[in-house]
Amino acid sequence: MAPPLFHRILIANRGEVAVRVARGCDALGITPVFAASEADRDAAYLQGREVVVLGPGRAALSYLDPMRVVQAAVQTRCSALHPGWGFLSENPLLATLCAQHGVTFIGPPPHVTALMSSKTKAKAAMRAAGLAVIPGSDGVLADAADARRVAAEVGFPVLFKAENGGGGRGMRVARSAAEVDTAYAEAQAEARAAFGGDRVYLEKLIEGGRHVEIQIFGDKYGHAVHLGERDCTVQRNHQKLVEESPSPALSPEQRAAACEAAARAAAKIGYVGAGTMEMLLDRGDAPAGSGAAGRRGSIDRGDAPAGSGAAGRRGSIDPGGTLRFMEMNCRLQVEHTVSEARSGKDLVQAQIAVAAGRPLPWTQAELVLAGHALECRINAEDPAAGFAPAPGTITAWTPPTGDGVRVDTHVTAGYVVPPFYDSLIAKVITYADTRAAAIAKMIAALEAFGVAGVPTTIPMHLAILRSPAFQTGAYDTRAIPGWPPQPRFV
Amino acid sequence: MKAREIAAVVRESDDGGAVHVTSPEVGFFRAHVAVGDLVRPGLLVGELETLGLISRVVAPPGARGVVTAVAAPGAAVDFGALLLALDPNGALAAGEAAAAPAHVADTAGGLVFRAPTSGRFYVRASPDKPAFVETGSELAAGTTICLLEVMKTFNRVTYAATGGLPERARVVAVLVADGADVSAGDALLALA
Repeated sequence: MAPPLFHRILIANRGEVAVRVARGCDALGITPVFAASEADRDAAYLQGREVVVLGPGRAALSYLDPMRVVQAAVQTRCSALHPGWGFLSENPLLATLCAQHGVTFIGPPPHVTALMSSKTKAKAAMRAAGLAVIPGSDGVLADAADARRVAAEVGFPVLFKAENGGGGRGMRVARSAAEVDTAYAEAQAEARAAFGGDRVYLEKLIEGGRHVEIQIFGDKYGHAVHLGERDCTVQRNHQKLVEESPSPALSPEQRAAACEAAARAAAKIGYVGAGTMEMLLDRGDAPAGSGAAGRRGSIDRGDAPAGSGAAGRRGSIDPGGTLRFMEMNCRLQVEHTVSEARSGKDLVQAQIAVAAGRPLPWTQAELVLAGHALECRINAEDPAAGFAPAPGTITAWTPPTGDGVRVDTHVTAGYVVPPFYDSLIAKVITYADTRAAAIAKMIAALEAFGVAGVPTTIPMHLAILRSPAFQTGAYDTRAIPGWPPQPRFV
Repeated sequence: MKAREIAAVVRESDDGGAVHVTSPEVGFFRAHVAVGDLVRPGLLVGELETLGLISRVVAPPGARGVVTAVAAPGAAVDFGALLLALDPNGALAAGEAAAAPAHVADTAGGLVFRAPTSGRFYVRASPDKPAFVETGSELAAGTTICLLEVMKTFNRVTYAATGGLPERARVVAVLVADGADVSAGDALLALA
């Protein structure tokens, strides 16, 4: 008999993800209890819900305090805790405290998260599991001399990164041997300040790649599957703006090989629940100029049968580039909706079932990925003013509806965007048979999205979606396709 | 290991008449004060248990008054939950807290006049006489504070500037109900 599900789950998060997790609980007949800060407690999305107030608005005293969060679960008699994403979701201490106090953590075991948060150990584990990785130092650099030696071996430019880093901090580029000493010392100093340790490693800097990630899912019995990839190349300052699946930049062979390897790797490290392998699709030996990008764009056919372009990429040297493991996110992702759209599966419900000790609800063969899905993150930011965050009151709110349109949000008219947290106010997901149809549907949906009171990133998304670069797939992580808008003919 | 000390959070009640002392964190609360006790800033008012760890909860600045309500023992409280309600006007004289215990758990930071011996506390010489002291009374050396009945003997207790007390003081609250039994060292008056 399958183990019973939980009766009450503490949602240790806020906003849109809290609403998303609660929807999964509601569907399973589980009572969600929201752990909220004082700044969020009166928000409309918590009306009629069971709420426990963690602390004041500042996240350090509420959503980021593992003691308060786990105690909140204990005293509200929740037998499981869903961390959402961000905040404490990848903090091994939260999972450990849960285990100590009899609360099931809905996520991977803490030793797996700890392994993956150590960047060089994660790379070694993934290389051992059969994934390509970005060439670089074998572990943490011993000293400046070691840095010079490895940099010369790997070839310039190189990127120094903090072993326990994240969020783009503790990273420095060296483009020649002369720059190594300074870059290494600066990366160490920043790592020491931001992460409390000066351990730094080195990777070859891959410029102009595409960000492709693979959704994997494991259970407690050593099984793991993948739910395809997502292309998150459209980014600003390492913040994803648009996500889609399938990636317009992968050949079917590349896709199949990488997805299968990711699932194998997930099983090998004992991964449990939803996780994501973030990869960089390098450009092979192609130069950074427009010719290569144009060529890639012209052969982007998604899941189409291998034509002449894809056939030309077979063989040991792949001009389309190699998918290389960057890091693993040990949690549900913001853009999981894209994979849900294509697979027809509910990842939150599956997370809960697997955490309760049930086996994977689907085999790989049962997971059929069809059509094309697109997600746009709508932030309360002013794209015309350098993306300045814009807290304030949303006075009008009419999200789009329709077939193949999904809006995940915690916002209703009258909602006050608090100044303490990130600026995500909604995600719009469209789904259609083809990429072009999904883009057209997204443009129509965003044009119909009525928001007043705060500026949003909707105009930027429309410019991206309408740009030839985005529509043909000819772009990489260095620039946002279609943004900022170029003046047309004068 | 010494228990961590955390300050409670003071909020005005909705009707404005009472001071609410609320929880600064999440946990199980056990009060160290009872209805009728005087609370002042710095006083230990209880302990909060979070994942098995005990924190000492002290009254913050602005938490001054007589306790009119206390969270149930071991109550699960979240941030902002009511721990104590205080009457800032020191309502003991009105008699509604006559059954209150005489003992105040701790008096960190405040001036207190303590019972010199054990006995029964009388605030007036006979039922028809005025109280020796009440909230707002000025005290100087020799001022009569109360009578303590010890083994059928009435002992007049007078103010003296000893034990760190000032030459002159003003009564902020009478901490013990008329007729209550007190022990040597119990706080009788809160002074300012």
